[in-house]
Amino acid sequence: MADLVNLTIDDVHVSVPKGTLVIEAAKQAGVLVPHYCYHPGLPVAGVCRMCLVEIEKAPKLQIACATQVADGMVVRTRSGQAKSGRTGVLELLLINHPLDCPICDQAGECELQDFTFQEGRPATRYSPTYPKRFNPVEDFGPDVLYVPNRCILCTRCVRFMEDVAKEPVLNVSERGDRAFIGIHPEAQLDHPWSGNVVDLCPVGSLLSKDFLHKARAWELDKTASVCTGCSQGCNVTLDLRDETVVRIRPRPNLEVNRYFICDHGRANYRWMNRGDRVEAPLVRVGRELKAVDWDEALDRVRTILNGAGGSAVALVSPRASTEALYFARKLLARFSWTGAFQVVMGEEAPLAGVPNLALRAERAPNAKGAELLGYGRDYAAAIKAAERAAVVLVVDDPDAQFETSGQVICLGTTAPNGPLHKSSVVLPMATVVEEDGTFVNRDGRVQRYFQGRATPAMARPAWWILGQLTEAPPESASAAFDILAADVESFRGLSYAALGLAGVQIGAGAGVPA
Amino acid sequence: MGYPNKPHPKETVVLSEYFGDPEAKTYKGWVKRGGYEALKKALALDPAAVTEEVKASGLRGRGGAGFPTGLKWTFMPKEKKGPHYLCVNADESEPGTFKDREIMRWTPHALLEGTAIAAHAIRAEVAYIYIRGEFTEPWAVMTQALAEANAAKVFGNITIHLHRGAGAYICGEETALMNSIEGKRGNPRIKPPFPAVAGVFGKPTTINNVETLAAVPHIIKRGSAWYKGLCLSSPKSTGTKLFSVCGHIQRPGNVEVTMGFPLKDVIYEMCGGMRPGRTLKACIPGGSSVPILTREETERCLLDYEGVAEAGSLLGSGGVIVFDDSADMVYQIMRLARFYAHESCAQCTQCREGTAWTTKILERILAGKGQTKDLDLLLDLSENMTGKTICVLSDSCATPVISGIKKFRSEFEDYISGKKRPVMVA
Amino acid sequence: MSAHAAPAEPYQPVFVGQTKDRLTEILGRYPVKAGALLPALWLVQEERGWISDDAMAEVADLLELTAAHVKGVVTFYTMYHQHPVGKNFVQVCTTSCCNICGAEDVVKALLRETGAKELGATSPDGKWTIIEVECLGACGFPTPILVNDDFIENVTPEKVPELVRKYR
Repeated sequence: MADLVNLTIDDVHVSVPKGTLVIEAAKQAGVLVPHYCYHPGLPVAGVCRMCLVEIEKAPKLQIACATQVADGMVVRTRSGQAKSGRTGVLELLLINHPLDCPICDQAGECELQDFTFQEGRPATRYSPTYPKRFNPVEDFGPDVLYVPNRCILCTRCVRFMEDVAKEPVLNVSERGDRAFIGIHPEAQLDHPWSGNVVDLCPVGSLLSKDFLHKARAWELDKTASVCTGCSQGCNVTLDLRDETVVRIRPRPNLEVNRYFICDHGRANYRWMNRGDRVEAPLVRVGRELKAVDWDEALDRVRTILNGAGGSAVALVSPRASTEALYFARKLLARFSWTGAFQVVMGEEAPLAGVPNLALRAERAPNAKGAELLGYGRDYAAAIKAAERAAVVLVVDDPDAQFETSGQVICLGTTAPNGPLHKSSVVLPMATVVEEDGTFVNRDGRVQRYFQGRATPAMARPAWWILGQLTEAPPESASAAFDILAADVESFRGLSYAALGLAGVQIGAGAGVPA
Repeated sequence: MGYPNKPHPKETVVLSEYFGDPEAKTYKGWVKRGGYEALKKALALDPAAVTEEVKASGLRGRGGAGFPTGLKWTFMPKEKKGPHYLCVNADESEPGTFKDREIMRWTPHALLEGTAIAAHAIRAEVAYIYIRGEFTEPWAVMTQALAEANAAKVFGNITIHLHRGAGAYICGEETALMNSIEGKRGNPRIKPPFPAVAGVFGKPTTINNVETLAAVPHIIKRGSAWYKGLCLSSPKSTGTKLFSVCGHIQRPGNVEVTMGFPLKDVIYEMCGGMRPGRTLKACIPGGSSVPILTREETERCLLDYEGVAEAGSLLGSGGVIVFDDSADMVYQIMRLARFYAHESCAQCTQCREGTAWTTKILERILAGKGQTKDLDLLLDLSENMTGKTICVLSDSCATPVISGIKKFRSEFEDYISGKKRPVMVA
Repeated sequence: MSAHAAPAEPYQPVFVGQTKDRLTEILGRYPVKAGALLPALWLVQEERGWISDDAMAEVADLLELTAAHVKGVVTFYTMYHQHPVGKNFVQVCTTSCCNICGAEDVVKALLRETGAKELGATSPDGKWTIIEVECLGACGFPTPILVNDDFIENVTPEKVPELVRKYR
């Protein structure tokens, strides 16, 4: 147990490990010290001067982000001096600020707005005849725009690129009030993790071109989820506007992605808005597929399964939830079973400054989950086995190409063009944003994702569809997981409550080699 | 008195003895004048003994902070775990100050000798002398002197390098100086860590001013008791100091006096007093970052750390800027604010934006568009800029504004009321 | 710009031959390569008169730094030129101590005598660029100016015509 230090912050007594910064200790006291340049994922800069607090016995105000706790320290963040220090900083930040909130993307999630509203001056003392500093907007590269006029020079972006991405492609140029964030003319901000500077920017200075003018912060419904871009399992927040996913941002998880996501994951949301969904359950009548209700569709599946024997093949997506994959296997338990998945591979792109964090070669979120549930990677063998299988169950594998003499039951999100003409039944399933579920990342961490919008048309979560066909159909995703956890050794003892928002590590978790 | 004038009888000539003497720049010339004996003596002593001697002398940093030098040397780690560094601050850029330039261009070996002694005392193998980029003559002289001294192998296993600055006042701040040596922007660092723990290249470092180190050979040679005895007023301020007198004065130049000497005598006797028909209006005794003194305060001020503080200012770098009754205090304070705005490194919000805003308000007052509330705004802004930043450049901009408005308020009001015609266009 | 315009001349590296040797010697003074950045930039400016983006990239390569870092340093220090300047680059101190001794008149005289229309602009004959700078550390010798590397003390408006003649 680390040495504990006792101190008082705003009359609240806290005990924190030695070496803790006052600004972090304050969080334990329920006090948010306003700040800009400080970020727990970046080295301390101490330049914005916003977090000045009063510390008894110290002759001057001290910055909370660079002061370590000491026994008996008494900190006041709301004393007259501290407040006037902050009001002073805010006033100075605003004198050259364009105040173009009506056209700025950051409005509604802007820390300059927030703190000014909280304790800034109600009116400016910077005469209207003084010109404001002006520099034109700059295109930094693939997705990032830099608006120098809004920049408060907190240098978070510079420090991120230098110390976390380890590619110092941004700098501070010039001096004094002429300073701005610069990039070498021949350089681009194209590092695979560079999009994080947009999140880090406390104001609307660094903007995502992809998100530019797309939505207002207050129109967004936010949902906790897990990125489906690769097997790293970065925690994300999905931002939806009118049921459409418009943005993905990182969600902090100190065990997985700390505070960051890569640009590939960041852009990986358009597929969630595709319109070419399977809309209703379909059953084969003659040569046609006819839309029916769920009762009829599920009855048809039961008939098929009851009438079949011998071998069954499951071709699944490594993007399907762990619950879905479990029930897919359970359903075919009495068959001689082959289950397989294939994963799109890409180039790995590590974030050098964070251990064990990279855009992984495996571009799917639940390959490990599939493996733990017995699915294999020998997709070709499964295709071969399908030829003689009595039942082929396809779960969200729209391009699966195979021949079979058996019956095909197909669950699909988007229209499953591959197996469509062979399918006896096609059932519409939910995507990651339309259900609760879990993924297991490459390190064996089981993480929950949450539903962000209703399933479209008649689609249902895959765990529900497959669960309905078993003896004791679960009533919720949580119940589905409980059944899984009771049955599969690796998941023993886990539950949605235990997983919480940060997930739980199981097994050795050495990860799948890239 | 400093070149180009002859020493005044009331000066205590120690550091400035050979100002104007071209032979003193050469190694042979310096040795002939008793140079490098102190270094020989020091290298034979234990480093701790050298430090004790300097500590006993009462020498305080001559760059502006006035921190006891010997005490500063003791902050270096007792146990040597790796390289130690000495950095010499020859970035002299404080308006009103021009003493280090003289020391370097007339007595370069005095600085080299002091540097080597100090390096020995703090067990540094390498010393960097950071010379501001504009000092082309000192650079050339120091380069030549270093080459000659190296050829004579006087430094033992201490290596001295010269490092040229490139135009940044802020690099005179000790942590910014270290960043500049490391090939970075001259941004001051937050402390802790302190330089003696983690300084240049992350290693224990001491930074000393040129004038401070130039005094060290004298202390070693003639003893700490002698140096300590050079004291006219407060016992906490010992030795001699070069005061750079400039501005509205008959004979500008450096005067070297014992600590505690009356400022009045420096101005009126040694430097010839005011120009014909003029009277003293104001004086900044320690470089532009210290409070302005009125005539009364100036005339009763004693020149040591405690004396100037008592008069209402600070000794600082000892740059004495003299303003006579023809000076436009508002304009000059604006010019100083513009200086600080130009030199701000841009890290801290108060400094980056505050120095520029202060300048704008003063320019507007000078353009005849000021209002009385602008003075309250300036004072409020100055308070906001004081005691809240990584380094004191921000405070230094506020100081002349605060003392200027306090002591010369009528001049500001004259512009605001229109009594004085505008001298600028806003 | 015409599609048939001659291609820009390829950049010629600065650090070859003797200059390279000088840099090698300088590198030996610092425990890390980055320490040689300011001296390396001085060498570039000594040779080329200014520091181009290409030169910054060359220096960055040699010292294992990024071009962005080098550019951040070049733009911080006022003595490094980011574009070509006149044959005589003149820096005039106009901070308070020199200001009250007539520095602004010296500036006016220089602008007039050299034909440079304004501060920072190069004169039509390409021979002069004049800027105001902050305290040059020679306040007792008002007004000090730098003409390239020549530090000249006690400049007055009266002395300006002769000075301009001498350097032209």
